[in-house]
Amino acid sequence: MAEKQEIPIGPATRFQPGRFTMLEIPGHDIGVIRLKDGTLRAIRNQCPHKGAPICRGIVSGTWLPSAPGALTYDREAEVLACPWHGWEYDLETGAELFRPVPTRLRLYPVSVRDGEAYVTVRMAEIGQASP
Amino acid sequence: MDDISHLAHAAPGQDDAQTTGIMDCDVHPLFADGIRSLYPYMPEAWSQRFIRKRAHTAGGGLTLRYAHPNGTVVRDDAQPEPGKPGGSDPRFLIHDHLDRNGISHALLNSLQSGSLCSVHASADESIVIASAANDYYLDQWLPLDPRLLYAPVVPSQDPAAAAQEIRRIGHHPQVAAIAVPPLAILFGNRYWWPVFEAAADMDLPILLHVTGSEGIYNGAPMPAGGMPDTYIERYVTLGQGAEANLNSMVMNGLFERFPKLRILFVEYGFVWPIPVMLRMDRLWRGLRHEVPWVKKSPIDYVNGHVWFTTQPIEEPRDPRDLEHLVNMVGAQNLCFSSDYPHWDNDMPMQSLKSLPPETRDRIFRTNARDVLRLSA
Repeated sequence: MAEKQEIPIGPATRFQPGRFTMLEIPGHDIGVIRLKDGTLRAIRNQCPHKGAPICRGIVSGTWLPSAPGALTYDREAEVLACPWHGWEYDLETGAELFRPVPTRLRLYPVSVRDGEAYVTVRMAEIGQASP
Repeated sequence: MDDISHLAHAAPGQDDAQTTGIMDCDVHPLFADGIRSLYPYMPEAWSQRFIRKRAHTAGGGLTLRYAHPNGTVVRDDAQPEPGKPGGSDPRFLIHDHLDRNGISHALLNSLQSGSLCSVHASADESIVIASAANDYYLDQWLPLDPRLLYAPVVPSQDPAAAAQEIRRIGHHPQVAAIAVPPLAILFGNRYWWPVFEAAADMDLPILLHVTGSEGIYNGAPMPAGGMPDTYIERYVTLGQGAEANLNSMVMNGLFERFPKLRILFVEYGFVWPIPVMLRMDRLWRGLRHEVPWVKKSPIDYVNGHVWFTTQPIEEPRDPRDLEHLVNMVGAQNLCFSSDYPHWDNDMPMQSLKSLPPETRDRIFRTNARDVLRLSA
């Protein structure tokens, strides 16, 4: 079992809603974003589908399942659409939207103490190439 | 290399014991005397109009380039008597096809009517022709044998009139589906809503089949890419229209708007849906938000609302590959069809021999019960 390591990633205020800030951690490619409720979300910058740098995708809301001919827009700043094939992910849960068996973003725990943010990764992952 | 030749074809009669209770979802009748057979079923003003126009001299509509290279699409050996085309005599058809092949349900699908009602006749003429043709079959064919089912043709050039025709005769116990002649308006378009609403109200599925007008008349579905040169080339690509329509129905949320609607694609074969389904699913995953009324995977809508008849059965070089294709399109969504008495028909005894018996059985005998409206 790999050891977990908590790595400081700077003041929490540097992370904004609507766009990812990329971290510089050797062996990791992680982006951090602030969700609508103020919490921070850290994800691996790799789409589970085809490996695209998903943090370069569109952060927005989406059009929820609706009646034919009607549009319902919601979940602003909580949905990430991959820049390649457009698969949509729920930034709250990391799950692909609207699939019974969804693919999932790789999420990393983030914590904030005294205004400083920390991300937790596994030691063994450091230096490993992405699968 | 395995010897697989025995899987490809079985000798006629080899499987006689199993050929009972077969549901044939595509049998083609003909008017006994062309459009003249319909005149007694029309208001006189209309029959006189057609007589004056010499409507009986207007051919089936195939241009020279698409005429069958052997002269006719109807089997010579299915002629009830010399000079009368196969399918024009119900008693002969009942004996020659139903009795001999153990067919318990035969869905009559009049291409003659479909051709006349697509764009071959004017919209007003097609309304009269559709009603006359439907009354002709209800009067002259259906009382002869309870095994005969019928898919009335509706005048698709006028969706309101089509809906009215569905409600007029849709209650008949041997009416099991509604044949809607395709136009160059995809079936996801709101143009068709009155037709689907009427069919769904009466628990009748929509039967889609080529009419023969494809690629010939303006207003009929056109082939993709350009005009084929020959009958063979056109035949190979007739499924293009089915592909476009399946896609259109799903992406326009048709099955959300009409949750009870069932569609039966007939005589397009059954391999073509596979790439359409896979492509729809893949694209939906990324671009779903453009059509948010598509609330689940397009494949799920197909599985729940769409059936495909088997003929003309694709014949892979290795017959064992057929089972993979059947599984990919969904064995539960395939219904046997013969296309009797046409030249390219599939007879039950020789068909789908390489499939596991239980799969073959459900395609022959069970699945059609899920899509057709049967009175018993």
